[in-house]
Order: sequence, then C-alpha cells, then structure tokens
Amino acid sequence: MVVALTAAGGTISMLIGAVVLRLTFTNTYQRYVRPEMGRWLLIAGVAVIVLGLATLVQALRGARSPEGHGHDDDHAHGVGVGWLLLAPIAALLLVAPPTLGAYGVDRAGAVNIRSGPAVFDRLEQSDVPRSMTLLEFVERAFEHGGASFNDVPVSLTGFVAGAESGGFRLARYQIACCAADATPVVVRVLGTSGSSPSDDQWVTVTGTFEPGGGELPRLAATTVVEIAAPEDPYE
Amino acid sequence: MVAIWRVLRSLWMARGAGDELALSEAPGGLHERTPAGRRDIGIAVVLLVIAGAAALRPLLQDLLDQPAIAHWATIFVAITIQAMPFLVLGVTISAGIAALVPAGFLPRLLPERPALAVPVAAVAGAALPGCECGSVPIAGRLVARGAPPAAALTFLLSAPAINPVVLVATAVAFPGRPDVVGARLLASLLAAVLVGLVWARFGRDEWLGRARRRHSHGGSPLSVLAATAQHDLLHAGGFLIVGAATAATLQTAVPRSILDAIGGSGMLAALALGGLAVVMAICSEADAFIAASLTQFSLSSRLAFMVVGPMVDVKLIALQAGTFSGRFALRFAPLTFAAALSSSLLIGWWLL
Repeated sequence: MVVALTAAGGTISMLIGAVVLRLTFTNTYQRYVRPEMGRWLLIAGVAVIVLGLATLVQALRGARSPEGHGHDDDHAHGVGVGWLLLAPIAALLLVAPPTLGAYGVDRAGAVNIRSGPAVFDRLEQSDVPRSMTLLEFVERAFEHGGASFNDVPVSLTGFVAGAESGGFRLARYQIACCAADATPVVVRVLGTSGSSPSDDQWVTVTGTFEPGGGELPRLAATTVVEIAAPEDPYE
Repeated sequence: MVAIWRVLRSLWMARGAGDELALSEAPGGLHERTPAGRRDIGIAVVLLVIAGAAALRPLLQDLLDQPAIAHWATIFVAITIQAMPFLVLGVTISAGIAALVPAGFLPRLLPERPALAVPVAAVAGAALPGCECGSVPIAGRLVARGAPPAAALTFLLSAPAINPVVLVATAVAFPGRPDVVGARLLASLLAAVLVGLVWARFGRDEWLGRARRRHSHGGSPLSVLAATAQHDLLHAGGFLIVGAATAATLQTAVPRSILDAIGGSGMLAALALGGLAVVMAICSEADAFIAASLTQFSLSSRLAFMVVGPMVDVKLIALQAGTFSGRFALRFAPLTFAAALSSSLLIGWWLL
C-alpha cells in the first residue's frame, strides 16, 4: 500500500490532536458529546499527535536522506481529501460553537412521554426545594397526573426557549451520544412577573408542579435565578 | 514468546516477498523523491489557512451569533468529535494488520469454490476492523494476489459493516437495544453474500481493471504502521468531515415535516434513508450515531441506513472506480444498493 508521508499530512494530524486535546482540557467537549467520552478523546488526541509527529519527522528526514521513504505519490495518495480537515481545525482552534440552544427545540421534536418508564415514590415533605432533571419532572408529571410531587417544591435548571404569556418555556436536551442525537425536554414555567429572560439564558427555576396543561407539564414558579451556562449542558 | 516472534518474523518475510512482487508490477514511481520544495509548500498552506482563520476570527464569532449557524456548527463538531476516538482506534488496528499480516496470507485460507468462499469471506470481514476506505485497497490487493474476485468483493462489503469496532459503536449508539446490533450484523452478512454470489455467477474479471496495477510501500513494520495509519486517518477524516457537514446541514435546513411524512411509510422510508446513506458517505464507525439521531424514522429504515452506508456511498463509488474501473463501479454500486436494501427490509421485518 503506497502511503505518502507528507509533511503537510503530519502537520494536519498534529493540529487535529491539538484541537481534540484543547476541547478535552477546557471541558468544552461536553457541549458536543457525553462527559464519559473525555478519557477516550484524551487518548485519541495524544495518539494523533504522536502519529503526526512521527510522520513529520520521517518526512523531513526523508527529504535529507537519499534512501528515505519520504516519497510522494503522483496524485491520490497524498493528503488528498484530508485537506478538508483543515477548515474545521482552523475554526476550532479559534472559536468553539456553543451548546445547542432554543433554536433547535422546535426543530428536533420533544421527548414523547405519556407515562414514565419508572414508578416514582412520593416526594417527602420538605421546605428545601428538590433538585431534579427536566426529564424526571416530565415523567413524574405524566405519572398519575403528577401525584408523586406531593406539593413539594422542586428546582429545575435549563435554558429559556421562548417567552409565553405569563411565563416562558424552559428546555434542556437529552443526548445519547452526541449533540446530533439531542432531543429537547420542555417544561412550561408559569407565574413569573415582569419580562421573561431572553432566549438561551440559563436559569434555575424553583416552584411547584401545576396539574393540567396538556402537552407541556407546568411549573408554578416562585423564584427564577439567571445562571451561567453549566459545563455539562445536557441531561 | 519465541514462538510468537517466529510467527511474526515468518509473516513479515512473506510480506516482504509479496512486496517485491508488487514492486515489479509497478516499475518506477515508487522511490521517486518528492522535491523538498513541494513539502514546504504543503506546510506553508497549512500555516496560511491557520493564519487566515485567525485574521477572520471576529467574522467567525459573528457567524456563531446566528442561531441557525451556531446550531449547524455544534452538530457538525459533535459528530466529528464523537467519531474521533473510534476513527483513531479503527485506523490503528487496520494499520497494525497492514504492517504485520502478509497480503498473500488471507487468500490461501479461502476454499476454491465460490459457493463456499463467499460466505467464508463474508465472515472473515469481521476480523478486519476499520472504515470502508481501508477495505477497498485491501480487496484490490486480494484480487491482485489471485483470490477469487467474488470472495474479495464479499470481504470488501462485509469488513466495514460487521467488524467489532462498528458493532461496538452500534451498541453504544443504541444503548439497551442489542437487537439493532444483531439485525445490522445479519443484514450486512446477507447483503455481502448475495452480492458475492451474484458476482460469482455474472461478474467478469476484465471489469476489475486496475486492481493489478497496485504499488506497494516498503520499509520496517513500524514505518508501514505509521504511514498506513497516517494515510487512513487523513483520508477517512476528510470524508468524515463531508459526512458530518452534510448531516448537520440536513438537520438544520430540512423542515421536519418532510422527514415526518417519509417516516410514516416503511418502504419509502427505507429507500429514502438508503439514499441518504449514499449521499452522506459517512464512515461506518460513525454512521450508527447518525442513525440513532434520525429518531423520526422507523428502526427498519434506520437499519437500511446502516447496512447501505458501509457498502455503497459516493466516496466508496469513487474509491472503487479508482481501485478497479469505472465500468466496475457502474455495475457494482446499484447491485450492492439493491442487495443491502432488500436484506435490511427482510431482517428488519423479522427482528425489529
């Protein structure tokens, strides 16, 4: 198998590795894939850098030594289609696309839950709000009309996905592997006074479950606190 | 330990002999040295693109403030990043095999009768982890070394579809659904065997054109390993970029109502997703993640996507036309598409 060892190819590989490691060390990768992928990205990034370095060294040595393997094929076996990698690498070295936001909520189709797979125990009475995922909130809401909430206050964290009269929609994505398979979970927040936070603003909402409401379960809010986007933006 | 070393050494010497053969087939062009200037131009282009991107950074940031573009970019990066560890694993293992297993070793293991050799070759595909980009040159090499073409082509189809890396990726993409992994394995095997048997009956050797004019890379196992891995990484990576960009564009631009309308009907949905797999040309190590994201389609039609994808897509057609001949690709691609589609409909109806 003829494989050209081009110095450009080695350089591109090292840049791929650098981008992967940068996303890993800054925890930015969690905007795109599940947190468990971190260690595999680390291994992959290091492997690609080592490979690129080996290629670069061999290509440069081949340029000096007459017996070297630094030959290039006349056409297809060079970097070829690998040049396409350069554009996203260059972009990603400089800017990182944000976590999925309100734009995709109505395009992806919400999680379709009518009765949750789990059977929930009733929440114990407490004055401290119970923190839960939006998915758990929605599953509890559709199980026996939300009986398991027991009027206990809950707190939900997500981003704002559209203002509505008397409140706004709160959403957060579920991902199985990466952001390409993201499915939004949406909750309707009621009872906020004044203007709603703008779209894509992350908030922690405290309140109690409000029965009824049809498609989207409702939360009667007591407090809405604006927060910075979490490092782990998906459920 | 000594025994293992002996086996490796004999494998290596057999490989070397094979390479001399290939060398004599392709005189010239192998040890021509690249002018150093061309190499420097390559690095200069890389640095120039990086510098250009740095200068355009404010523009990039402005673009990402557009919700639709940010959505596209996030999905594009997500698919690429998710596929990266799988790509690296596949490329490493496939380079290890290229460096250590002599190309003449596999055809000797095959029975001579096509009716037997084809199923054996289909199952043997499980032993070659890697992307479809890697299996095309290997199949070309197998043909050049005198393996029955039908068996080599069956191997070409089954290797990227049913190898352990792809099956593990499928299991990760469809958590809690081992039946999807099983259906993918069975439907891919069935499609590969069907194509192999049809080729054994109707195929003509003259269509395999360029397969014999393959040249070879010499050197120590380590340098073959590094060179193959480097080439496969950039090659597969480049096509992965195309696939991820296509997928992100589809997810951002296509109104869901259209996909929902197709998603309602079985045959049409399978045909549409089979066609999508051809156009997207995504790596077989990553396609399960795309299939998992196409939640509006039935599992059977997403199975068609995963069975068609590793066997026939735009980049494979180009690779096959390059390795064999244009006339070959013209016949092989439609045949494979039909076989893959009907296999996945049958297995999907049975299992999913």
